[in-house]
Amino acid sequence: MEQTEIIEPIQETMEEMYVNMGPQHPSTHGVLRLMLKLDGEVVTEITPYIGYLHRCHEKIGENRIYTQVIPYTDRLDYLASMYNNFGYVLTVERLMGLQVPERAEYMRVILAEMQRIASHLIWMGTFGLDLGNFTIFMYCFREREKILDLFESVSGQRLNYSFYRIGGMPLDLPDSFLTDCKAFLEWFKPRLPEYDAVMTDNIIFQKRVQGIGKLDQKTAIDYAISGPMLRGSGIKWDLRRNDPYSIYDRFEFEIPVGSTGDVWDRYMVRRLEMAESVKIVEQALRDLPPGEIMGKVPKKLKPLAGDIYSRVESPRGELGFYIASDGSEKPYRYKVRSPAFVNLSVLPVIGAGHLVADMVAILGSIDIVLGEVDR
Amino acid sequence: MTPEEIIQTIMSQFGEAVKASEVKGVEARMDVDRGKNYEILLALKGMGFDYLNCISSVDRIASGDLEAVYNLSSLNESAKAMVRVRVPREDPVIRSVVPIWSAANWHEREAFDLMGIRFEGHPDLRRILTSEDWVGHPLRKDYQDERLVPYEPA
Amino acid sequence: MEKSMERFYAAFAALGVPSIVPQLILMLVVASLVILFISVSVMFMIWWERKISAHIQVRYGPMRVGGWHGWAQSIADGIKLLIKEDVIPAGADKLVFALAPMVVFAAALAAYVIIPFGPNLIVRDLNIGVLFYISISSLTVVGIIMAGWSSNNKYSVLGALRSAAQAVSYEVPLVVSILGVIMTVGSLSMIQIVEAQQRIWFVIPQFVGFLIYLTAALAECNRLPFDIPEAESELVAGFHVEYSGMRFAIFFLAEYANMFTVAAIATTLFLGGWHGPLLPPWLWFLIKTYFIIFVMMWLRWTLARLRVDQLMNLGWKVLLPLAFLNMGITGLVLVLLG
Repeated sequence: MEQTEIIEPIQETMEEMYVNMGPQHPSTHGVLRLMLKLDGEVVTEITPYIGYLHRCHEKIGENRIYTQVIPYTDRLDYLASMYNNFGYVLTVERLMGLQVPERAEYMRVILAEMQRIASHLIWMGTFGLDLGNFTIFMYCFREREKILDLFESVSGQRLNYSFYRIGGMPLDLPDSFLTDCKAFLEWFKPRLPEYDAVMTDNIIFQKRVQGIGKLDQKTAIDYAISGPMLRGSGIKWDLRRNDPYSIYDRFEFEIPVGSTGDVWDRYMVRRLEMAESVKIVEQALRDLPPGEIMGKVPKKLKPLAGDIYSRVESPRGELGFYIASDGSEKPYRYKVRSPAFVNLSVLPVIGAGHLVADMVAILGSIDIVLGEVDR
Repeated sequence: MTPEEIIQTIMSQFGEAVKASEVKGVEARMDVDRGKNYEILLALKGMGFDYLNCISSVDRIASGDLEAVYNLSSLNESAKAMVRVRVPREDPVIRSVVPIWSAANWHEREAFDLMGIRFEGHPDLRRILTSEDWVGHPLRKDYQDERLVPYEPA
Repeated sequence: MEKSMERFYAAFAALGVPSIVPQLILMLVVASLVILFISVSVMFMIWWERKISAHIQVRYGPMRVGGWHGWAQSIADGIKLLIKEDVIPAGADKLVFALAPMVVFAAALAAYVIIPFGPNLIVRDLNIGVLFYISISSLTVVGIIMAGWSSNNKYSVLGALRSAAQAVSYEVPLVVSILGVIMTVGSLSMIQIVEAQQRIWFVIPQFVGFLIYLTAALAECNRLPFDIPEAESELVAGFHVEYSGMRFAIFFLAEYANMFTVAAIATTLFLGGWHGPLLPPWLWFLIKTYFIIFVMMWLRWTLARLRVDQLMNLGWKVLLPLAFLNMGITGLVLVLLG
C-alpha cells in the first residue's frame, strides 16, 4: 500500500493571490478545477486538477466482452459519441483482421462526419457564450437539434448512440434518411455565413481572441497535441489524410490550417472544418452503395493474443485505443488515449502570462470534454 | 526508414537490451530491458519519432511484472514504433522520459496513479485521476476494495 | 397647471398652515409619481428585454404568465424576489451592506428631477440641468464600491473595483461629448436645449457626439459589450454576488432606471426631445427614449464582451480624443458663424 501524500497549505505573499476556478464553474465546460496564481489581473501559473469525472472506464472494459464495451465508449466524449464508437470498433476489427462491408463503411463515414459537425457546433456555441455572445449559442443549438433528429431516426438515441458494431453496423439507414440528410445539408450551408456575420466578422470578438494563447509548433509536437489545436499552429496533420482509416482516402476535402497558433486560428480551423465535413457527407451520400451492413463476424469474439494501438481523428484530436488481448472474450488491458486529456496538459504553458479574462477564451479553444479527460 | 531498418539500427546499437522484436505492418515493435529503456527511446527520437502518442501500463500478473508500453510515431514519416518495458512488481521503477517528450508528463502520472509504476526523474509525480489521498493502485489485477462488486451478467 | 397650484397653496394658507407643508406634500406626490413611473417602466423594460433577446435568438420568450405573451412575467419575478430570504454573509459590514443598494438607487432616482417628459412635464427645470445629471450619476460608483467592499468577498471587491474604474473612465468622454450640444445651445437647462431643436435635431450636426455618447452610456450602465463587472461567465457575478432577494432587486431596478435616464438624456440632447408631428409631446418623448433603449438591448444580444484593458483603451485612447475633436470643431464652426 502506498503512503498518502501530504498536501501543503499554500502560503500567499502580499503580491500574489490564489484564485480557484471550479470544479463548479460556468466556463470550465465540466468539472475541471483550475488553480490560478494571479499577480493583479495577470495569471502567472495555472495548475489543472482533473479526475472529478473519473468513472473507471478502463477497469470496466477489462470485465466486459468486446461488444459490451461499446456503450461505455459512448460516454467517454459524450458530445461526439459516434466517433468514440468508431475508434473502438476500428481497433478491435484491426486486432482481429475483420473486413467491413462497403455499405457499412459509407454509413460509418456519413454518421461520423455529421457527428463532427454537431460537436463543432456545440463548441462554437459555448465558446461564444463564454465571451459574452449569447445569441450564437442559440443558433448553433438550433442546427444541432436537426442533426440529433437525424440521429434519432437512425439509431433511436439523441446522444449516446452505441450504433457501431464490430464488423459493421447493427441497423440499416431508414428510407427517409437520404432525403432528410440532403435537406439538412442544404439548410445548413447558408448558416455558416450567418455565424460569420454574428461572430467571426465582429471586431470585438476578433480583438478578444487574436494574439492570445499562442502555441508554437515545437511545443505542440513536444506535448503530442493533435486535432484542430495542432492544425491551428500551422502543422498540416489530419489522421484522415495522413494515416487514413476506413474509406476516407476516397473523399476530397481540404485540411484547414492556421498560421500563428493563437485562439483565433483554432477557431477558424474548426469553423472551416464544418464546411469540409459537409462536403464529405455529400460525397458519401452520393456514392452510398446498397448491400450488407454486417460482415462475417464469429459469434464469440476471441481475438488472438496480442496488442494493438489504433487511432482515429475525432473532432477533438487523435483518439487512440490500446487493446491488449490474451485470447479470451474480454480485453486484458483496454486503454483510451483521449485527445482532450493530452491537449489539456499544455494549458499551463500557453495560458501563463495572460489576463484572467483570456483564460476563459484559451480554455474554450482547447475544446475539452471532461468525460474524455477523466474517463 | 522502414520498420526493419529501425529495429536493425537499435539492435546494432544496444544489442542485448532488445529482448524481442517484430514488425507489424508499418510498426516496429520491441521488448526492451528497463536498464537501457531511456537510451533506446532517446535514440528513437533521434531517428525521427518526435511524437509520443501514448504511454500505457499493463499488469502482467501471471509473470509478476508490470509493463509500460510506449507508442511513438512521426509527423514526417509513416513509420510507427511500439516499445514495451517490463519491471518486476516488487521494484516497479522506470526512468522517466519527460526530458525527451513533454507529453509523457501526464501519461506517466496516470500510469503511476492507476498502476503504481514509479517514474524516476519525473518533475511532479503525483496522482492525477484519483484523489490525492487515495490508497492503492486501482487498475492492478489484484486490487481489493470492499466497494468493488463483481459483474454478473443478467 | 399654474392656477391649480395657486389654489392648492391658497387652500393651505387659509387653514393657517405654514407654506412649507403644501410644498412637502407636493414634493412627496411628485416623488411618488416618479417612483411609480420608474417601477412600471422598469417592469416593462425587463419584459421587453426578454422578448427582444428571445426573438433575436429564434425563440419565443415569456408566453404564459398573464396570458398574452407573458406580459405579467415581470410582476411574477418581482413578487418572487420580494419573498426570498434575506441573506447577509457572515463577516459582512451590515450597515454598509444594507446602505449600498439604497445609495445606487437614490443616485439613479435623483436624475429624474431634470428629465423633460413634455413642455411642462418636468419636475424642476434647473438652469444647471445637464450638470446636475452628470454629478448625480457619479454617485452610483460610491454605491457600487460600498457593495463590493462590504460583502467580505474577494470576487466582489474585484468586480466593484473594475466597475468603478469603468464608470469613472467613461464619465469623461460622456461629458465631453455633450459639450458640443451645450456650446450650440448656450445653456445647461434641459427645456432650453429641447426648445433649441425646433428646426433641426442635434443628432445631425453632432452625429459624432451622439455616437460617443451612446457608447459611453452603455459603459455607464454596465451593459454588454461593457459588462465586465457583471460577467457571469468570467470569475463570478461581480459586485452584487452576495446580494439576494429585495436588495438584489433594488440593484436591478437601479440598473434599468439608469438605462432609461441615459436614453432620456440622449433623446433630449440629440433627438429633439418631445418635438414631433401629430402625437402628443410626451408620447413622442417616450417613443424616442424607448427606441434608444431598444438599440441598447439589440447591441447586448448581438455582441461579445470587451476585456478590461480593451475597455480602458477604448475609453481613454479612442473616445476621449474623438470627443475633444468634436468639441473643438463645434467651437470653431460656432465662432465662424458668429
